[in-house]
Amino acid sequence: MSVALERPARRESGGLVASVLSTDHKRVGLSIMVVAFWWFLLDGVFALLMRTELARPGLQLMTRDTYNQLFTEHGSGMIYLFVTPLALGLGVYFVPLMVGAAGIAWPRAALAAFWLLIAGGLTMDSGWFTAHGAAKFGWTAFYPLSDANRSPGLGMDLWIVGVSLATLAELVLAACILATILRHRAPGMTMLRLPVFAWSQVATTLMVLMSFPALIVAMALLWWDRHLGGVFDTPGGPAAYQHLFWFYGHPVVYVMFFPFVGIAAEVIAVFSRRRFFGYTAMVLSFLAFAGLSMSVWAHHMFATGQVTNQYFSLTSTALIVPAGVEYFDMIATMVGGAILLRTPMLFAVGFLLQFLIGGLTGIIVASPPLDYHVHDTQFVVAHLHYVLFAGSIFAFFAGVYYWWPKIFGFFLRERLGKLHFALMVVGTNLTFFPLHVLGYEGMARRVADYSPHSGWTDLNELSTLGSYLLAGSVLVFLANVLVSTRRRQPAPADPWQGHTLEWATTSPPPPGNFDSLPEIRSYAPLYDARVRT
Amino acid sequence: MVADTRDEFLSLFSVYEWLMVAVTAVVFGAVFFALVRYRRRDDEWPRGRDEHKLAESVYAILLALIAAGLVALTFRTESRVDSLSAAPKLRIDVTAFQWQWLFQYAGSDVSVIGGPSSEPVLVVPAHQVIQFSARSDDVIHSLWVPDERFKRDVFPYRTTRFDLVFDRLGTHPGHCAEFCGLRHADMNFRVRVVPLDEFRRWLEGRA
Repeated sequence: MSVALERPARRESGGLVASVLSTDHKRVGLSIMVVAFWWFLLDGVFALLMRTELARPGLQLMTRDTYNQLFTEHGSGMIYLFVTPLALGLGVYFVPLMVGAAGIAWPRAALAAFWLLIAGGLTMDSGWFTAHGAAKFGWTAFYPLSDANRSPGLGMDLWIVGVSLATLAELVLAACILATILRHRAPGMTMLRLPVFAWSQVATTLMVLMSFPALIVAMALLWWDRHLGGVFDTPGGPAAYQHLFWFYGHPVVYVMFFPFVGIAAEVIAVFSRRRFFGYTAMVLSFLAFAGLSMSVWAHHMFATGQVTNQYFSLTSTALIVPAGVEYFDMIATMVGGAILLRTPMLFAVGFLLQFLIGGLTGIIVASPPLDYHVHDTQFVVAHLHYVLFAGSIFAFFAGVYYWWPKIFGFFLRERLGKLHFALMVVGTNLTFFPLHVLGYEGMARRVADYSPHSGWTDLNELSTLGSYLLAGSVLVFLANVLVSTRRRQPAPADPWQGHTLEWATTSPPPPGNFDSLPEIRSYAPLYDARVRT
Repeated sequence: MVADTRDEFLSLFSVYEWLMVAVTAVVFGAVFFALVRYRRRDDEWPRGRDEHKLAESVYAILLALIAAGLVALTFRTESRVDSLSAAPKLRIDVTAFQWQWLFQYAGSDVSVIGGPSSEPVLVVPAHQVIQFSARSDDVIHSLWVPDERFKRDVFPYRTTRFDLVFDRLGTHPGHCAEFCGLRHADMNFRVRVVPLDEFRRWLEGRA
């Protein structure tokens, strides 16, 4: 168990070239996450620019045209290039370790997908340097706003190609992860002994494989319509585009959610010193969630008046059941435990409490008569950021503080971590909570300006202030990385007394992952070895 | 039977609101209770059961019942909000285009349109069922009257119909809610709700 301590602190051997050409799943997974994080920083700056513009009525900082490009690239970047790749990058790194495999299935395909992802992102961003600027029709590119007449320019086509490439990359990554789980599990690691995080990846990758092709088709058809015409310009065409888009666009919400629930579940179990409570129910809820996620897409279209609202309202509201079970299991794991509030646990609890707000407003937008009012307003902006930022990103940081010692062999600083957490909690709620009120009172989304007589200035100022605090919290995190890397506090193989197999190898794990594996009799094999029941 | 959509919204919303408050209280309470009560005090390894199938099943059924209740209430409200009257008191044709609104009163040649620096003001009678037939000349727009708690997307190539009843006199702001390009944020209008006889006089005066 103390092998890592005896080993000299290891620099990344072989340099940059080896690291970007390696088919080791840990290198590929880490590269994906690092690149995705760069897009988080870039698109976060876009968000700060928008929030600064919105602090006061009138236009102070930019033109309407620039604002429209910024919110399009912010949403597109965060979804296509940051959270989705992050969700899968985590799987590429940790799924083989958690199932006791020596590597990932189809490692060269995974490496190719990493490069495809970069190509897609750069293609999308290169739109900024074209004559008409970057894409400016929102991350959804609704037709006919996105047709050749209303959105002329190369930047729009680059966006379409970029989105397609990134989506193709994500499909390949999902296939690699799922194949690893199905084919490369260690002896004794049955499907019902997979860690909760690995099950979250099963559900995630199934959704990717079933829904992401619809987006590639939508992009191909949109490209065809822009250049050759005659695809969507019919009475049913604009709605047909939305159906194709949301058939991808809703499952992707859960793709950007499940792996982070998985992280929170692992962290809560480890820091409560208990086996995760209600494993079977959790697995069933993941599968029910994934199944339902394929039949809720048109709840984004209630206000169109062109879908069977009742059906999609029914399936969407039914999500209360699996979501409620997941909450029950996570809280029940804490009750009766021995809870240690280290930084990973703080972020996991932050996820649990803040995601709840996004989940509950989700029940509101699942009701068509309520959605008629709040749809396409700042209320929805608040809802989706509570889900994705206050939820997924908090759980992501729980994972960062939890797994950092495993990945790099040294700890992140605890006090800076707690400062990061505190600032991020205040910043998140200050930024996003006021948007509920603004949307309810009549402020639409995707607007660069609002009337000075609307009475919305104070809440907008508050939200902008919050966004600066958020930026500050990210800077604290980066400072933490810097300080911790400069003066390393070496980590042993299993610093948190973990439950799952990644803690049974050295920190960082060697190229083949394991020298030997412990006996696997449950979904928490290391816990079993420690506590004989 | 169409009622004011604002009233329909508020009575349904209050149910969801109470549920949200209750769930938030229970979850926050449970989490903070666990954090305080089960804080690690020494190097203990607690023993406890890993699952409780009966409790989990009962709980899941309870959740399903809550979901069913919400869906039932939602369906009831929606059937009223979405219903179209066979004999509306007034028909108004709406044309949305980048980035303005044109309102035409059916059965007369009265119309209202906004200008570069003026928002169009749609004058409507109070307490009457008004049927809107909306169409876009270009991209998708969305007609939203926040005070009525209602919006409906306006598509090109097809007509969208919906009924509204305005019970509150006075002027209410309206916006385009669906992002529609460069000047989306400026695509506003106002609804002025007046008593029926005043509306009749206004309509005759405009004809």
